[in-house]
Amino acid sequence: MLKLVVCIKQIPRVTELPWDEKTGTLRRDLAAGMMNPACKHALEAALQIKETLSAKITVITMGPPSAEEILREALALGADEAILICDRLLAGSDTFATSLILKEAIQKKCPKFDLILCGAYTADSETAQVGPQLAEELDLPAAAYVEKLEIEGRTLRVRRLVDNFRETLEMEFPALVTISMENYKPRYTGLAGLENAFEENDIAVLDAKSLGFNAASIETKGSRTKVRKVFLRKAPKGNVILQGAASHVVNEFLDKYQRKIGTVIGKSIEEKNLNDKK
Amino acid sequence: MQFNPCTKHKLIRDSVRNFAETELAPIAAEIDRKAIFPRDVMEKMAPLNYFGLQVPKEFGGAALDSISAAIVVEELSRVCAAIGLCVTVHNGVAVFPLLKFASNEQKKEYLPKLASGEFIGAFSLTEANAGSDSASVETTAIKSNKGYILNGTKIFVTNGGVCNLALIFALTGFEPGKPQSSVFIVESKYPGFLRGELEDLCGMRANPVSSLFLEDCCVPENNLLGKIGDGMKIGLSTLDNGRIGVAAQALGIAQGAFEAAVKYARERQQFKKPIASLQTVQNYIADMATEIAAARLLLYRACSLKDAGTPFGCEASMAKLYCSSVASKVTSLAVQIHGGYGYSKEYDVERYFRDAKVTEIYEGTSEIQRMVIARSILSQLTF
Repeated sequence: MLKLVVCIKQIPRVTELPWDEKTGTLRRDLAAGMMNPACKHALEAALQIKETLSAKITVITMGPPSAEEILREALALGADEAILICDRLLAGSDTFATSLILKEAIQKKCPKFDLILCGAYTADSETAQVGPQLAEELDLPAAAYVEKLEIEGRTLRVRRLVDNFRETLEMEFPALVTISMENYKPRYTGLAGLENAFEENDIAVLDAKSLGFNAASIETKGSRTKVRKVFLRKAPKGNVILQGAASHVVNEFLDKYQRKIGTVIGKSIEEKNLNDKK
Repeated sequence: MQFNPCTKHKLIRDSVRNFAETELAPIAAEIDRKAIFPRDVMEKMAPLNYFGLQVPKEFGGAALDSISAAIVVEELSRVCAAIGLCVTVHNGVAVFPLLKFASNEQKKEYLPKLASGEFIGAFSLTEANAGSDSASVETTAIKSNKGYILNGTKIFVTNGGVCNLALIFALTGFEPGKPQSSVFIVESKYPGFLRGELEDLCGMRANPVSSLFLEDCCVPENNLLGKIGDGMKIGLSTLDNGRIGVAAQALGIAQGAFEAAVKYARERQQFKKPIASLQTVQNYIADMATEIAAARLLLYRACSLKDAGTPFGCEASMAKLYCSSVASKVTSLAVQIHGGYGYSKEYDVERYFRDAKVTEIYEGTSEIQRMVIARSILSQLTF
């Protein structure tokens, strides 16, 4: 049986995210939480593996007690086991510290894993670092921004889109992938699944001490980055009105803006061709 | 007493909201305008247990508590009340009486089909001369050697145009001084089960509401629900439960209209500022928010009494009376806040306004709810 670990994160619901322009901070306490979209895609990838091969899925997250919500959601969707890393000492961890903590938790609770799946990036901070850093800490072969997975025995074949070309990579288990939002559209959560997630499953809670961290070790091994300032980027807005005959206006528009729109148009045509070939 | 939603209720709300906003929001206006029942969406809802909200797991249901079931109806109705109606009628007044009164054989036969969405259910009491006065049913069921032969016409049957199974109330005899009614589980495939044209209604237009004609419709003897003469008992118990569903639906409509009104009030500029900065509009918003919050507490109280196994009929009537009244008021104010645009089909509040009205009428009019509540209060010796 394959042992899959999916690392997920609770983020503030983006459309509801209150923003304090004076202090430049996000009022996370006021926003409702949700599972990060790319993490949902990673979980979906694991669920699809489970549907075709024999597999056990462990979901793991670090966050405040409210992060239980996304673990229950993952259980409702079909995960088998859930782990919450929750401790005030670990609050404010940057991506480096987070990957160290996840490494300890995975080695403690599921040391014989075959594949770790992460979302490629989170919608709240968008660093896309935790997955690759975790692979580094666990010394695993890894691929980021994966859009398709195939498993043959102990070999994992992944396809990913990098800089306008697609590449296929192969690696042996154990391995780590981060899943992009291209494929693996998340399924809806069924109501019976949600009911079961509360009735039939316990969530294992790990604190800093149980993972071998204390205030002093967090001081030395902990976060290496500090956020100095967050600010709202103000893009200048202004309408440009082109006047004259249609042919003149089109030519003027292309002269002025072709460089800005060319790549966008080019990319969408290229993607359409690729999709048609599929 | 717990006033904050538990994690389960929050997740159920989130997941139904996600489904409704993704699948129903893009089509809600069109299926209302064209009176289309969206079967493809129903097929997506079925595996997610929307048709077996409170059916035990052994029969393929989700076994939800009553607050969870109300949240499901609320969230569907927040986006598309006609689909909220389909789900609440199926679960609240077709499945519920089977859960409560059916024999084990009947449960094994019908609950899995209903819970999986293979069968859509309907409840059929109303006739041309029997609405609030449910004892005046004229449809008859006469016992024969093949089973029961049903004859009569039912009107305003929610889900009537698509149901595979309907619970039919029919006269089975006379007790001294009053008619005796019974309930039959009637499959649409039985010969003599005919559907009328779909009704052209003011609101809830995506729900196929129709008449049902029973013309020498032969129903197997085993399909009698409960005992002969149980009609009134089953009817009253089912309506108590159905009222929770309609209250949830009305609350969802109010919530949807309220959110649309707040969004519009923030965006709409008059006198060079958003109309939300005007005190009159703020007063509307404050009243709407307060009444919706009160309605929600009243609804969840009826649900928690039901789950505790205590009588909940009076509280269900209070919830239905108040939620439907709030829905009518809030949707009217939402149109008012939208001004002329609110009267246009371009904006959703026009649909919410039409959908809200019927919640004051079906499953017992507001006048009947007041009668039920007053009778309950006046029969109590202490308060």
